[in-house]
Amino acid sequence: MNRQLAHLSDEALVALAARSEQSALAELYDRYGRTAYGLALRVLRDQTLAEDAVQEAFLTVWRTASRFMPERGKASTWILTLVHRRAVDAVRREQRRRADSLDLAAEPAVEGVEEDAFLRLQRERVQTALRRLPDAQREALELAYYGGFSQSELAERLGQPLGTIKSRMFGGLSRMRELLGEPGTETSWTPTT
Amino acid sequence: MDPHDLTAAYALDALGPDEAEAYERHLGQCEECREELAELNETAAALAFGTAAPAPPERLRASILDAAAAERSNVVPLLRRRWVARGLAVAAAAAACIIVGLAVSQSQSSGPQLSWQLSVGPTGKATLSVSGLAAAPHGKTYEAWLIPAGHSPRPAGLFSGSTSGVRLHGTVPPHGVVAVTVEPAGGSSHPTTRPIVTMPIQT
Repeated sequence: MNRQLAHLSDEALVALAARSEQSALAELYDRYGRTAYGLALRVLRDQTLAEDAVQEAFLTVWRTASRFMPERGKASTWILTLVHRRAVDAVRREQRRRADSLDLAAEPAVEGVEEDAFLRLQRERVQTALRRLPDAQREALELAYYGGFSQSELAERLGQPLGTIKSRMFGGLSRMRELLGEPGTETSWTPTT
Repeated sequence: MDPHDLTAAYALDALGPDEAEAYERHLGQCEECREELAELNETAAALAFGTAAPAPPERLRASILDAAAAERSNVVPLLRRRWVARGLAVAAAAAACIIVGLAVSQSQSSGPQLSWQLSVGPTGKATLSVSGLAAAPHGKTYEAWLIPAGHSPRPAGLFSGSTSGVRLHGTVPPHGVVAVTVEPAGGSSHPTTRPIVTMPIQT
């Protein structure tokens, strides 16, 4: 695998992609493709749909890289936001999902996952932070983010007023921000050499 | 509905389409929400790292890079009715023998969010992308066709709904047309229904 761009920041790679440098897109995929695919698979539970969501997101990166504004946020945030949005759009198009139950947001058993130390560390940090949230906040975040449920669907399915769901999502996300902001919980890519 | 309390839900992609649109309008006018959203987006994206990450199939990387290469070389945006109408006119001029099948295809009424994009690479390899297209009905598939000027349609690939890139079989001839029809599952060797879209090749 060609990793000659491995020393560049994500943001520099996006700037190169905006100039049609294909190896920059490849490097971004090598950094985030696996996380992107894991996320899409968690939301969609279907390999083909997950691949489509990841492909669409990375092609959106390619098409719109020139409009990315580094001062508005990290490139990794932008990429994973695109992946998540595609995955959620797809899961909502799947009518059959409507009949399914809320436990869809539970993490499926994934066998034979051999991941590198960086990804395992990040996963443990996020999961530890999630476990420290009050149950109701954690449930709202997991169902919304991993389950793809809208706030209205959650209000209905959990039998709670919409305002309660909004507060749980806001409270949960704000608390996660504090927990992840503690030292040593950086989640962006760190160049290896 | 106070848009200020929708920031977390928006960051989690937990708004319905109308709510999201209203929130985005609000964002244009509210610096406070833009700042808060930037922070919450980052936290929401961190959740992506909280799930198991099995390796994606090897083909996905190649598929993305191939589609990217095909796109950047010659992007031909095909959006909305204006383009479709133009496509029909070109089809009529360029492919008279099959126009009976194609010219009556003004059935694109699925709303403004439906968009098609055909990207043609320097060697004539083409990728077709579409968003906002409903999934093909049960037992049916979408089939793309390459129509060289003055010739019959050639099957160019099958897809089931919105897609970021179907690589079309064969090469796209200059002044030809790409069309899409709904066919029985498995595809057809000749179009059996009217196209839902026709696109001219502008190379």
